[in-house]
Amino acid sequence: MGLLSAAAGRAEVPVFPVVGVGGRQAAEALWLMPGIRVVDSPRAAVLLVVVGRLTRALLHPTMLVHDQLPGPRATLWWPGAGGATPDDGAQGTEDLLAALPDVVTTVPGDTAGLLAVFADLLSGRRPSGRPALVDVEYPRWRGVGPHGHGGEGMMGGVPFGRPLAEMADDPDGLMLDQLPLRVGPFFPAWPPGLILDVGLQGDVLRGVAVGDNPYRSWPGDEPVGPLDTALFLATRTMATTVAALEVARARHHLRWLSRTLRGHGLAARAQRVGALAQSLSVDDRPVVEALARRLGRDAGLAAATSGVGIVDRAALERVGIDRYGGPVARAAGLGIDARTHDPAYADLGFAPVIHHEGDARARLRQRAAEAAQALSLAERAGEIVRPPGRPVEGPRGVLAPREPLPSSALLALLPDLLDGLEWGDAVTTVASLDLDLEEAALDQSVATWPARTSGGPTGASTTGAAPTSTGPAPTGPAPTSRVTP
Amino acid sequence: MAPFGAAVVVVLAGGIAVLAARWLPPAVGPEATAPERIPFLGGGVPEVHAWSRFHIRYYAMALLFLAFDMEMVFMYPWAVVFAAEGAVALVEMLMFITILLLGILYAWREGALSWAS
Amino acid sequence: MNWSAPLPGVVLVGTVLVAGAYVASVLDAGAARLVAGRPLRVGELVAGPWREAALLARIRRSTTERPDAQTWALAPALLAAMAGVAVATVPLAPGVAVADVDDGIVLFGAAMAVVMVGAFLHGWSSNSVFPLVGGYRFVALALSYEMPLALVLIAAALPAQSLSVGAIVESQQGLWNVVRQPLGLPLFLVAGMGLAFWGPLGMSDGADLAGGTGVEASGPDRLAWALARHFVLVAVAVMGAAVFLGGWQGPGLPGALWMAIKTLVLLAVVVGVGHRVARIRLERFVVVAWAVLIPLALVDVFASGALAL
Repeated sequence: MGLLSAAAGRAEVPVFPVVGVGGRQAAEALWLMPGIRVVDSPRAAVLLVVVGRLTRALLHPTMLVHDQLPGPRATLWWPGAGGATPDDGAQGTEDLLAALPDVVTTVPGDTAGLLAVFADLLSGRRPSGRPALVDVEYPRWRGVGPHGHGGEGMMGGVPFGRPLAEMADDPDGLMLDQLPLRVGPFFPAWPPGLILDVGLQGDVLRGVAVGDNPYRSWPGDEPVGPLDTALFLATRTMATTVAALEVARARHHLRWLSRTLRGHGLAARAQRVGALAQSLSVDDRPVVEALARRLGRDAGLAAATSGVGIVDRAALERVGIDRYGGPVARAAGLGIDARTHDPAYADLGFAPVIHHEGDARARLRQRAAEAAQALSLAERAGEIVRPPGRPVEGPRGVLAPREPLPSSALLALLPDLLDGLEWGDAVTTVASLDLDLEEAALDQSVATWPARTSGGPTGASTTGAAPTSTGPAPTGPAPTSRVTP
Repeated sequence: MAPFGAAVVVVLAGGIAVLAARWLPPAVGPEATAPERIPFLGGGVPEVHAWSRFHIRYYAMALLFLAFDMEMVFMYPWAVVFAAEGAVALVEMLMFITILLLGILYAWREGALSWAS
Repeated sequence: MNWSAPLPGVVLVGTVLVAGAYVASVLDAGAARLVAGRPLRVGELVAGPWREAALLARIRRSTTERPDAQTWALAPALLAAMAGVAVATVPLAPGVAVADVDDGIVLFGAAMAVVMVGAFLHGWSSNSVFPLVGGYRFVALALSYEMPLALVLIAAALPAQSLSVGAIVESQQGLWNVVRQPLGLPLFLVAGMGLAFWGPLGMSDGADLAGGTGVEASGPDRLAWALARHFVLVAVAVMGAAVFLGGWQGPGLPGALWMAIKTLVLLAVVVGVGHRVARIRLERFVVVAWAVLIPLALVDVFASGALAL
């Protein structure tokens, strides 16, 4: 056993990340750390890394995922990314520390601490984490009859406590079972926090509904932390250089590319792009342009994404995206870009990149091309400063005061878009929309968009703490204030 | 028969070896609790058993596969005697295959090969 | 190999499979580092698979609420057993074959069909949604690649006038099949990747299903499944080396060494493709398999038949 543990202690650490508020960037940095392997399923993991601040809605899923880790297990918490500290007293924080008393609290990016916990765990110096949830089987386990299989009534009852799936109509004409699923906030192939209530008929989705956004903050909670588009939101009150904005935009798109490549099974290529994004500067323009060309021509990606998740103009108008653009709209042929009318870009010869197919492949090529274009704009812009106050073109769409943030409208696209798609296509489509549930949570009424009444509050009005640096941070501090009407 | 016997032994040995790899390592730590045994759904709890009357949408393609599998049964002995029989055998198999290829074409046109749209 | 003294045969097959699986893991990790632009630390790469296996042996095996425990245990054993049979039919050196039966490629085809059953059982047994979907998807894929796989092997059997793998190897005395039947090896590798659900054809264990059939497996289960999967990949590479690359034939070096080198080359190709090509869309691949790959395989069969006359 000693030899085995010694060898095991030097293996790559399998880690399952749980992303809380403000933790997405730090969680994605985990993918790039040597010696750490991010796994898709908690059963493959030894360490649970909670990044950012947990909200009340995320607590039970976190405890459940923690319990699903087999032993030996330990939990690490990197709270700083969300602007929260252990002494904050925020509700989610207290609950987490109470539920998982063996949590090791360190700073984001602390690889050495993580490796040390892993080594201690395997050598036996550290005991395995105790279960967070009570050891009670949820349903009643005995059905009717000698083996407990039997049920009551016509549909077979409740064998072993859980019911069997009910039948539902199918366009095929065959009435077969439909599994009602609530695929939770920590499904690795989806943006963190996305909860979808789907009916699964075979491997085709039917009846998709977006669940309540778990990052939503209620009165009395800490507000949603610094977003990955913090720099763009800050331009409302702060003057920024065009170069900084464009480099941030390119970095955002490259991070999205890395996530998407990983979802398509190209983990090694995704790591390369992620490393490029982490250390991105204006000098990397030729590299990014070459990357965009290569991805546009890649036959495997083309086969996997073309014709998938087509978003046409009518769908965009239904959720209001045609008003404020973004790569999704531009990939569908709507050439709306706030930079066209921005005087800071007037001398740079800017013309929006447009594709017409509106499918996932068009969105992939759109964002790759926009990343390359952003770097060339940054190169030409030099020292041009952009004054504060005007609506700014964020990486997902126009960010204007008193307008909903792009992710809310994109979330509203999902139910119609995903209905009838096969599972793999649905995952590709969700990834291609570049959703950020934290951004959507800033608009309170995600679930009722666009039927929201105009009298509701448009978001938390307090500022979050300045982000602690997680790798190369965008230039300048970024208060996340939103102007309330 | 002797080589088949060796193959059978290999099957049994391979199966036993992997089963041993699965069962031998001693379980460390406490028993699994009930919440640990809940199937992974990204943080949620499943409402129903996963076992269900799963809609295998590719059943038409499976029938097509059955037809071609029977064709394979004919091609195996054909391959052995082919050189001895000469060009006649080639032409006969060609006719056989053409008829089956027409079957693929029909199935493709009827949508048996694309099922999720 | 003798039926009454089966031990040498078992040891040989076991050694080939384990060594091949180890080399495949090292190649996989190495290719990943190369493609990702990371420094290639050979020491870590060489020790990597042992450390991973040790870690998996230390993690506790978990289970789900109401799985089918027998098939869950059976699935990786079935895969490994079938990979063993496949390797057993191939002559690894002149005169050294554990089970070089007269219809070796039929036995190989039958074993590979049972691999489909094993992969499906692995997905079905844990009573969890994502593995179940992965298992059913894999069956759709398997039904599509079986045909090209069998057809290209038949095409290779035509010049040899025999279905035994030993005879096919000997028929490549003057010219390897990869030159004589250019369509054969690419089609075989595509089907082989599907068989081992590797890389672009990894539908059953894909990232879009959070790990697919392997979601609920942990610790020794995961180790057994990974081993079995690598065994199938090695079996595909060994068979490909024998049927298309001339097997143990080659000047200078001993036959076993040539066999090892050719297997290594095929493993490297498959592992490299796995890291460069995106995962397919199932429907698109099914259409391609039936409308493109099968006609190509048939062209291969008839061309090689015409040549053999």
